[in-house]
Amino acid sequence: MDIQPLLQTLQDTPVAAFIRESGSVFPLLESVHVIGIAIVYGTIAVVDLRLLGVASHRRSALKLIQDLLPYTWVAFVVCVMTGLLMFCANGTTYVQNTAFLWKMGLLVLAGLNMGVFHLGAFRRIGEWDTTLPPPSQARVAGFSSLALWAGVIFLGRWIAFL
Amino acid sequence: MSSSLIIAWLYATPLSTAIRDVLWVIPTVQSIHIIAITVLFGSALVSDLRLAGVLATDEPLRGVVRRYYPWMRNALMVLLFTGLIMIIAEPDRVLVNTTFWLKMVLVVTAFTLTLLLRRPLLRAPDEREKRPIKALAWLSIGLWCAVIICGRWIAYTI
Repeated sequence: MDIQPLLQTLQDTPVAAFIRESGSVFPLLESVHVIGIAIVYGTIAVVDLRLLGVASHRRSALKLIQDLLPYTWVAFVVCVMTGLLMFCANGTTYVQNTAFLWKMGLLVLAGLNMGVFHLGAFRRIGEWDTTLPPPSQARVAGFSSLALWAGVIFLGRWIAFL
Repeated sequence: MSSSLIIAWLYATPLSTAIRDVLWVIPTVQSIHIIAITVLFGSALVSDLRLAGVLATDEPLRGVVRRYYPWMRNALMVLLFTGLIMIIAEPDRVLVNTTFWLKMVLVVTAFTLTLLLRRPLLRAPDEREKRPIKALAWLSIGLWCAVIICGRWIAYTI
């Protein structure tokens, strides 16, 4: 299936044209996107480092996750919304951008990694909540998450250079 | 010596040319810059929200601030270093850019505020706080957001 006609239609909508043509809307979306990224990766890294065994501002891993995850999610939604708006404006070129496609792929992997953690080690968090270092399953999840999200950030920056 | 001469000299240095000639250097340095932003802003956010009385209020303030401050300081070092590389590589884009200088003023202001809010907690135990800490903590978060916005806007000014 050819996605280009669909993306072209999207790109021709008044909203997309406005984002593309107004001088300040696109950089503003980018700025909010970066603030969102800083909150997503900043809070996720605190949790991931705790899963790797680096002490955080509290001993309980569960309470730490409950402290920070709401901020992660709100910021992630902000990133998705600003990302979608930027995508609308130039969809036909983004889907031909290798860095963009890899970024989307890594996002899926980061989501899967989180899913595996929540269905696995997280279900038994009561057993290792205050234990340092955490079990290997949690450490693998923390390391993968740090690496995958860092990859997402790198590829995001590379989109502009390809 | 005028600024345009300094810029022309810096632009022509072998280091500046070398950074521009190797195509992956600038995007890689910028990516590291963004990762460091996430570390600085993430640590600032968590400890400022604790200072504002929003997050982890059952944990002692000193402990939270002490845990995150070294991450903020180290991330700032990485940011200054990667920022310097970007200045050396493209001085003509940066040094005459008003948004860049506004960003620098905001960085100095934000980090000074960070130190002012944290220093009493990093040192002496339990001094009674009389300053409007909560409002200043929110101001700090706002200032870092402004820094990020200016950083993105450098690419669009001149």
